[in-house]
Amino acid sequence: MTRPTFQNLYEELFYLSLLIRRFEEKIIELYPSDKIQSPVHLSIGQEAVAAGVCHDLRAQDWLFGSYRSHAFYIAKGGDLCEMMAELYGKATGCSGGKAGSMHLSAKEAGFMGASAVVAATLPHAVGAALAAKFRKLDQIIVAVFGDGATDEGIYHEALNLASLKKVPVIFVCENNGLAVHSERKARQTYDILENAATYGLSTAHLAEGWCPVKVRSFFLHELDQIRKDGLPRFVQIDTFRYKEHVGPGDDWKAGYRSREMAEAWQANDPLIQDKALIAKFDPPIQAEIHDAVAFAESSPWPGVADLLKDVY
Amino acid sequence: MSSTSLSYREALYQVMHDTLAHDPRAVIMGQGVDDHKGTFGSTLGLAEKFGADRCFDMPLAEECMTGTGIGMALNGLYPIQTHIRADFVLVAMNQIVNHAAKYKYMFGGRYEIPMLIRTVVGRSWGQGAQHSQSLQSLFAHIPGLTVIMPAHSQRILEDYPCVIKNVRGPVISIEHRLMYDLQFRTTPVQESAGVTSHLVREGKDVTIVACSIMVLEALRSAEWLAQKAGLDCEVIDVNCVSHPDREMIVRSVRKTGKLLVADTSWKPYGFCGEICRMICEEAPQALKKPVVTLGMEPCPCPTAKSLEDLYYPNLQTLSNTIVELVTGKEKHDIALPDEHSMADVYKKFKGPF
Repeated sequence: MTRPTFQNLYEELFYLSLLIRRFEEKIIELYPSDKIQSPVHLSIGQEAVAAGVCHDLRAQDWLFGSYRSHAFYIAKGGDLCEMMAELYGKATGCSGGKAGSMHLSAKEAGFMGASAVVAATLPHAVGAALAAKFRKLDQIIVAVFGDGATDEGIYHEALNLASLKKVPVIFVCENNGLAVHSERKARQTYDILENAATYGLSTAHLAEGWCPVKVRSFFLHELDQIRKDGLPRFVQIDTFRYKEHVGPGDDWKAGYRSREMAEAWQANDPLIQDKALIAKFDPPIQAEIHDAVAFAESSPWPGVADLLKDVY
Repeated sequence: MSSTSLSYREALYQVMHDTLAHDPRAVIMGQGVDDHKGTFGSTLGLAEKFGADRCFDMPLAEECMTGTGIGMALNGLYPIQTHIRADFVLVAMNQIVNHAAKYKYMFGGRYEIPMLIRTVVGRSWGQGAQHSQSLQSLFAHIPGLTVIMPAHSQRILEDYPCVIKNVRGPVISIEHRLMYDLQFRTTPVQESAGVTSHLVREGKDVTIVACSIMVLEALRSAEWLAQKAGLDCEVIDVNCVSHPDREMIVRSVRKTGKLLVADTSWKPYGFCGEICRMICEEAPQALKKPVVTLGMEPCPCPTAKSLEDLYYPNLQTLSNTIVELVTGKEKHDIALPDEHSMADVYKKFKGPF
């Protein structure tokens, strides 16, 4: 699938962000058919963070994510057909039907395995960075997690170790203000950035996580710095989760957050507001997604020969 | 074949040293690996010899250390991690069970996590509830983990290099603190493709399947009973508890018709049950007597010596159990060894840790 030629960086990042959103909307559309039997933690609302962060990462730069990683899988360059096939549980999926939505990976694109356990991949990123330093590799490691991950002890252990060992890792906190249905003030006594700074990490904050161009230039600065000094860094990018924690639905009626807050965010969301570009890019995006669905539909199921493969 | 006397500690030091010397991917990491005690001597001086980036201290953050090892393994290194007590590994179970063990399978074989996690089980000198646990059944329960329990310096010399070279996933090694100062006769190392169980004493009257230090106890008991009563015990060191040699165990039970399983841990849902499952599934008709099992009493480990001596099976109870199983008599006139606690016998360990 060849993508259209882009006039500028905004178009390029917009296309990628819209691709992520439309792909996930296809998941929502398919979900009632039970073709996708996997808990899906949708990134809708958070696409710009992934598109902006990944733009200047090379395939040799590794990114570790979480169970909410559809956006980063796509933005890092993971194959759409293999992703849809994985969601379908097909043998041609990126993990042969053993991963589902929560453990996506695309090794060739540098999108490393995602975990369903909150904050669990942070030390993996630190270890990979430690090895990169030890082996003198030209490689940056990125750890992506939500604000909920900062509740975990291992998050603090990982920040401390990265700073102690001075390894080339960038911690990216996607702050959507929620851990499942609990807001930050119900969970945390600290300011995330202030807390991260106590570990000796350089910190930076971007509030406008709806804008992929701003995310990109913000993160490019961080990349420029780490390529110069090789020292760990920490960024917080604010964002907004439109959908329920897990599953294809909306949950505005649940009462734990207000619709108005979302509407204020959505007023800035280019994937809603820029109708001209949406109209321009929707056809090629739908064609990409159509191909991915067709690939998944026509792929075989894994079978008995696969069940006990790759255990040890 | 020429043989040499080598302590468990010396064997550990030798393989740690040789691994760093011969494998540029290997690094040793853990609490205190580069200090003046060097993980009970097993890593002593290696940081000085091979550099601070090959053998380094870690924060007291067991889960983070394990997860860091996963990342290092993904990026081309071979981490060897140490826990001076196996109990501390419980803090790292999320990374071991949820991640290291599943990484290869969960990602369709695209990633491998080759790493060695060394743990040490304590016993005696008041080790108590959190310095003495022998957690092999927890680990061996999990698909994806290879679990070894060396009971001889030879096993260390042969099996550690073997797993480092051949196992492309996480290996948990459960060492026993009481054995560190014991001398073993070792022979030139035979390179093997895999780690498995070993028939360490041939006999015809009863099969004793044991792990870790219970192998030594079984051998002592067997020698005693051979001398005092002419009993002929066969002893199998399971060694690789996650991948035991089922054929060897079944063949032995078919020969002797009697099975005693001796574990270093609690009996419920553990090693004893697993060996019994093997026989029940493959050769129940081979048993001429009900299986007998030995393990720790079903309580946390107490610290008072008087209680600890009751908590662990001793040589006398082991020998008596064997006699009862073989003769079928609860009352017999076969002389039993004195009731000494294991720490008194392997007396070189006088604490504190």
